[in-house]
Amino acid sequence: MKKLVSLFLVLAMMVSICAFASADGAVEITFWHAMGGVNGEAITKMIEDFNAAYEGKIKVNYEYQGSYDDAFAKIQAAGINSIPCDIMQVYDIGTRFMIDSGWVKPMQEFIDAEGFDASVIEPNIAAYYTVDGTLYSMPFNSSTPILYYNKTAFEKAGLDPEAPPKNFDEIYEMAKKIAESGAAKYGFGMGNYGWFFEQWTGKMGKNYVNNNNGRGADYATAVEFDSNGAGHDILSVWNKFVGDEATAVAPYLNQGNDDAKQAFINGDIAITLESTAALKTLLTNVGDSFEIGVGYFPNINADDVGGVSVGGGSLWAFKTGDEAREAATWEFVKFMTNPENQAFWNAQTGYFPVNVKAQETETFKENVAKYPQFQVALDQLHDSAPQYAGGLLSVFSQARALVQTYTERLVHHEIADVDECVSQLAAEINEAIEMYNLTNY
Amino acid sequence: MVKNTKRPRPMKIKKTPYEIIEPYLFLLPALAVFAVFLYYPFGRTIYLSTWVTDALGRPKKFVGLDNYTIRLFGKDAFWTSLVSTLEFVGVVALGGLIIGMITSLLTYNRYKGSDFCAAVYAMPVAIASAAASMAFRMIYHPTGGLLNNLFGTQINFLGGVYQFWSVAAVTIWLQSGINFIFISAGLKGVPTELYESCSIDGANYWQKLFHITLPSISPTLFFQIIINIINAFQSFSQVKLLTNESPNSSTNLIVYAIWHDAFRAQRFETAAARSVILFLIILVITLIQFSFEKRSVNY
Repeated sequence: MKKLVSLFLVLAMMVSICAFASADGAVEITFWHAMGGVNGEAITKMIEDFNAAYEGKIKVNYEYQGSYDDAFAKIQAAGINSIPCDIMQVYDIGTRFMIDSGWVKPMQEFIDAEGFDASVIEPNIAAYYTVDGTLYSMPFNSSTPILYYNKTAFEKAGLDPEAPPKNFDEIYEMAKKIAESGAAKYGFGMGNYGWFFEQWTGKMGKNYVNNNNGRGADYATAVEFDSNGAGHDILSVWNKFVGDEATAVAPYLNQGNDDAKQAFINGDIAITLESTAALKTLLTNVGDSFEIGVGYFPNINADDVGGVSVGGGSLWAFKTGDEAREAATWEFVKFMTNPENQAFWNAQTGYFPVNVKAQETETFKENVAKYPQFQVALDQLHDSAPQYAGGLLSVFSQARALVQTYTERLVHHEIADVDECVSQLAAEINEAIEMYNLTNY
Repeated sequence: MVKNTKRPRPMKIKKTPYEIIEPYLFLLPALAVFAVFLYYPFGRTIYLSTWVTDALGRPKKFVGLDNYTIRLFGKDAFWTSLVSTLEFVGVVALGGLIIGMITSLLTYNRYKGSDFCAAVYAMPVAIASAAASMAFRMIYHPTGGLLNNLFGTQINFLGGVYQFWSVAAVTIWLQSGINFIFISAGLKGVPTELYESCSIDGANYWQKLFHITLPSISPTLFFQIIINIINAFQSFSQVKLLTNESPNSSTNLIVYAIWHDAFRAQRFETAAARSVILFLIILVITLIQFSFEKRSVNY
């Protein structure tokens, strides 16, 4: 039996060795990504372009690994034994885990070794992925939440189609008018999406977790949104008018973004919140049925002073110990984030061009001339200071799920009191953080 | 004359060592597969459920039964999840059976279009639960969904109290196909003489149904209930997709909770503990079913 097993292992090793040494002597690297739909087509095109440009030298094998969550779960499961790829796209909230894992070769090392001019990376985006002065991963597909509104419905309701609401008081007033005038079934609708909670906390200029929002030398040990009032203010908004069937201002549109996006495309809601990455999808799906306007992500309170932070994903290079493959990975990273490719990526998806020089390309200029909505997203990012880069937390995906669960309980009156809801939520996230820190550090 | 009735005792044949191990050699391939894919994971699950793990699922600290007593039994959420699962299994097992029963009775007699109806009733068998769930997401959509447009309502079928019933309805529909096929086959096996003699005695439709049909197909019904219960316990893709990976407490079924603990929250120890509890529940249900079968099913 043992002999059989070892024979099998030897065979498996030989097969995998063969897989890496391709016929024409090109270095092969494997890239895991998490882009489906319209965005998936765009990323495939860019990778194919890279393979054509580097033919005979580098070949990138790309594998779509499902959603961000799925891809992340897969790397965690695989990473115990061996890392299955050279480079991978990971979502923003996986950052802390990736740093802690020790599997990663920080981008800073490539940058320093080559003397690469890192100032071309959009500073507000780089800020998110920089911890203790080290840029860990290369921003690739970065987005912020923005407000989308139906200009046609605004006109019908007698509202100024060029003046999107800036905070929730305004949203409430406008949504009421739209619903009453019959311009849309409802005025406003947003998905119950934990990312918004994080963004609003940043927009108030407050921290989500302690220890400098998890960005200091010490990792976060507890949430802070319960004591600094952010949780109270955000959940009060939900409690106030979402899902309140009597006013028909805003229906409850379930967790995640899908239902809200669909409702907006159908014209059932006139104002919604979504990622900038949905811009191209919305433009394509809405087509000529109405005109889409874009505004800044709304403030919870009229006098909030903070800013939005980036979400989306970045490219993480793994330590493979193979210099040729690591060098090939770096070439690939540079290619994917060069000005021309980032302009293409921006136009095809709505993600930001992470390379500031992308804005000088013809591709970018043509696209913005055709769809000025792309510019608003960029302006919003530039209007936010890098200090509101957003928190880092090991158990962020779990925390996000809990935020959504508790928001839903509040909306459905399973928990009557906002403060009670915030304290229960904080207690559960803190327990998860404590468990993680106990077993991982 | 008394014959010697004593039968000759069989001669004891000495087995060669090869003959002794031979049967085990035949068993070996099956045992090896079971060991790798069943017994080892089973043992490992029990082992993991007594430890706490790091984010990669490696055991870090032995905690005995803490995962059960503190992290599961000590939480209201666990009991809600357990009760919801049992409710869900009950609703789906009975619902699937009743719909399968009704549809197969409707197509028992041949009439114009009965083949078409039979094909429609059997169709859910051929539909993957993932595809069905995505279609039903659209049907249930809170503002633009087919159901809301049809009834002129504005109900969020996938939120609040409706969520449980919406997910259960899709599962029942998916289950009804296999119920229809098996029960139809069972109905065809009931001897027509029974119905004929019944008719002569003056029995009406309902008397025939309750006194002839149901007792005659009780083995089929029993088998179907077992299959329904097992399938209902395994419901996963409907929960994951219909609720967009975020069921509320009434729909947080145990298999979904196991998956979520392990692959979303990276809490492998509670996932393992939940799995052990699920194993015990299914074990008890199986034992009850088989003792029940002996007593009240006519073959």
